[in-house]
Amino acid sequence: MPFVADILKHRSLSIVGLEKNTGKTVCLNYILRRLNEMHVPVGVTSIGVDGEQVDSVFATAKPEIILYEGTLFITSEQHYLKRQLVSRLEAVDSRRTALGPLVTARVLVRGKALLSGAATTGILRSQISQLEKTGVDLTIVDGALSRLSLASPTVTEAMILATGAAVSANVKQLVSRTKFLHSLICLDEVSADLRERLNPIQSGLWAIDSEGMPHDLGIASVFLIDRAETDLLHYGHTLFASGAVSDRLLRVLATKGTDITLITRDFTKLFITPEAYVEFTRRGNRLMALQRSRLIAITLNPTSPQGFLLDSKSTCSALSDAMQMPVYDVMQIEK
Amino acid sequence: MKIKDLIKQDAGFQYVVDNMEFMSTAGRRKMLNVEFCNDATWLQEEWQRLERVIKVTREYKFKKPYIELRHCLMQLHDLQGTLQSLSCHTTLNEVELFEIKNLAQLAQIACSAIAELGLTDVLPLPATKDIFNLLDPDGTGIANFYIYDSYDARLAPLRRELQGLQTAGGDPMRISELLALQNEIQNEVCTRLSDELAKWADLLTTTMEQMAYADFLLAKSDLAIRWNLARPEIGETIEYMNLVNPRLKEHNESHKQRYQPVDITLSPGVCLITGANMAGKTVLLKSVATAQTMAQCGMYIPASKGVVRLVEGIASSIGDDQDEMNGLSSYAAEIIKISNILKDCRSHELLVLIDEPARTTNPVEGKALVQALIAILNNLNSTTLITTHYSQLGSTCRRLRVKGFVEDMADVPLNPQNINRFIDYSLTEDQSDNVPQEALRIAAILGCDEQLTALAKENISK
Repeated sequence: MPFVADILKHRSLSIVGLEKNTGKTVCLNYILRRLNEMHVPVGVTSIGVDGEQVDSVFATAKPEIILYEGTLFITSEQHYLKRQLVSRLEAVDSRRTALGPLVTARVLVRGKALLSGAATTGILRSQISQLEKTGVDLTIVDGALSRLSLASPTVTEAMILATGAAVSANVKQLVSRTKFLHSLICLDEVSADLRERLNPIQSGLWAIDSEGMPHDLGIASVFLIDRAETDLLHYGHTLFASGAVSDRLLRVLATKGTDITLITRDFTKLFITPEAYVEFTRRGNRLMALQRSRLIAITLNPTSPQGFLLDSKSTCSALSDAMQMPVYDVMQIEK
Repeated sequence: MKIKDLIKQDAGFQYVVDNMEFMSTAGRRKMLNVEFCNDATWLQEEWQRLERVIKVTREYKFKKPYIELRHCLMQLHDLQGTLQSLSCHTTLNEVELFEIKNLAQLAQIACSAIAELGLTDVLPLPATKDIFNLLDPDGTGIANFYIYDSYDARLAPLRRELQGLQTAGGDPMRISELLALQNEIQNEVCTRLSDELAKWADLLTTTMEQMAYADFLLAKSDLAIRWNLARPEIGETIEYMNLVNPRLKEHNESHKQRYQPVDITLSPGVCLITGANMAGKTVLLKSVATAQTMAQCGMYIPASKGVVRLVEGIASSIGDDQDEMNGLSSYAAEIIKISNILKDCRSHELLVLIDEPARTTNPVEGKALVQALIAILNNLNSTTLITTHYSQLGSTCRRLRVKGFVEDMADVPLNPQNINRFIDYSLTEDQSDNVPQEALRIAAILGCDEQLTALAKENISK
């Protein structure tokens, strides 16, 4: 059983998709079944709304999530009342979502359920720590749509990335888009010292001098970067962007000099295109992360929502070669 | 008028409310719905309850029963909607039943904590044991919930079969059938439980409201201790010793600036406040308004000691209400406001606070208006405070003057930043009909254009 053992080294796991319909739910079901066989107590929740029976964008049939005895799950009141399993309510949150308050329940007889969850990573984080307190060894967060924020190492320790024909029916494009995100996920980490120093910084663009001390460059938002009058490289060639990193920031930096190291909080703060990234790195600049995500596996769904089917085996090996890590078609392992 | 409306009219009172720390949204809701009250008996009772809670808070703040009570209140959910459905005999779902079970258990824990604190007569809670037991048929004593097997004899065998089929990957048709049947039974049970609970709907509402009130009382007590508030007395006059404006005090202290409390006594009729610019006349009006609102909402007052005369409402004209959109100048907006205040005063006893009336029009007519205003309000039962820069008003009303600028009050060089240290904000009875003339002196200290002040001085001596 590939990669399930790796998951158990972590306390929380997110499953995120490069696109919708890349097989997140199939992957989640596979993991939950294996963990049940291994008698590992798990907690499951989602970000936003997921687990609907019919995909609301493409109207394709979607697999439902199967939860096993002993599993703790968090979902909204309305989805809880539609569950097809026997479970006991353990807690009701006072915060309300569009689908009623979030409830925590324990499965007594296995079956299918709809998962929905906190709309913000802040609430999600508090829920993960709440589940940990109730004796859960591992909390799995199911992603929704193509949201990546839940995979931030500040929210979940480890992640699984789902990709597939929904991203592109052209294998070459699929490989290049997946590889680009993979390279951002796997950015080099800064030293522990520097991380400790930069972590508390909540806003702005900062320069790090040769002593490793941060200096505020007085730029409130990187979106105002091209109006900045200050000399960005006055303190040295290492910069820290505490918030989002955009194409514009990369392009402005690329014009200011070479050999620049731009530090981002983690890959979920990068809103950049491959073109801007290539342009930035070609001049000898590089990106680093305060915290790197632990990417456990990449999974492939060879079927696109429009019905297009890629060859599972060759696509997996093409992806695997490009990223130097195993890529699984979960449907094939299940067989 | 309720607190939720009062805070829109008085930013100082809004600041007070914002500084109360609630553990539940229900507690906050309870506070926002408190009425401005002029019933002396209720106010005395409420202050008495607050006094008891303050005493207990001081004694038990870090001890078990107090912490336990706070912990209960933190978990209190506002179940207004659910309880309303219950009293209308609507069937509650499992989540709602769980919430009721949770409330019943919280109330039990809170009830014993309150008893340990010796506050049962202040915060009585109804007994909810029967409700909890109904929702805990297996007697586990734990506040979790589902439709337990013991609610219906059909459930246990059905769930056993379901479990067997699910584990073995059995016939999906049969599984669906069983799930549908289970849902049906669960709904029956929910209906039965809701019917039984309906008779307790009022008791549950009382329980929740009392717990919300407990949260509110604890928040009031906490604020009274933190801000050193005092229990007011009720009397024929308004009398404050060391009255403060909480918002300004906090601001000054956080900027390491001096804050001087003031003493003031007011009786029905008009009291005129005079004093130089920057002497704190407007702040005084605002402080009096906030203290009166706090007292009549059942809170303690921001003074070291105080007597309040209960009024039916507070009417104020403070600040510039100029409204270009309605085509109203500052003067027009003010006159409309003042004439509304007069109308109200003829039928109600109010506390009236008017800041520099008619200051935006010509001094001849302005002075005449102020004289008329004083004459009318002096003959009404309301307690009125008016600030003014007009002298020689000739009116026969009480006058208080802010002592104001005292050159040798602090032993540092005077500059525009520390001018506040040279002002004595205390009030003194004033028999003369003249107002202090310090505008030019203060302008000079503020670094005003020299030619301007020199020429003005010349004009006065002409």
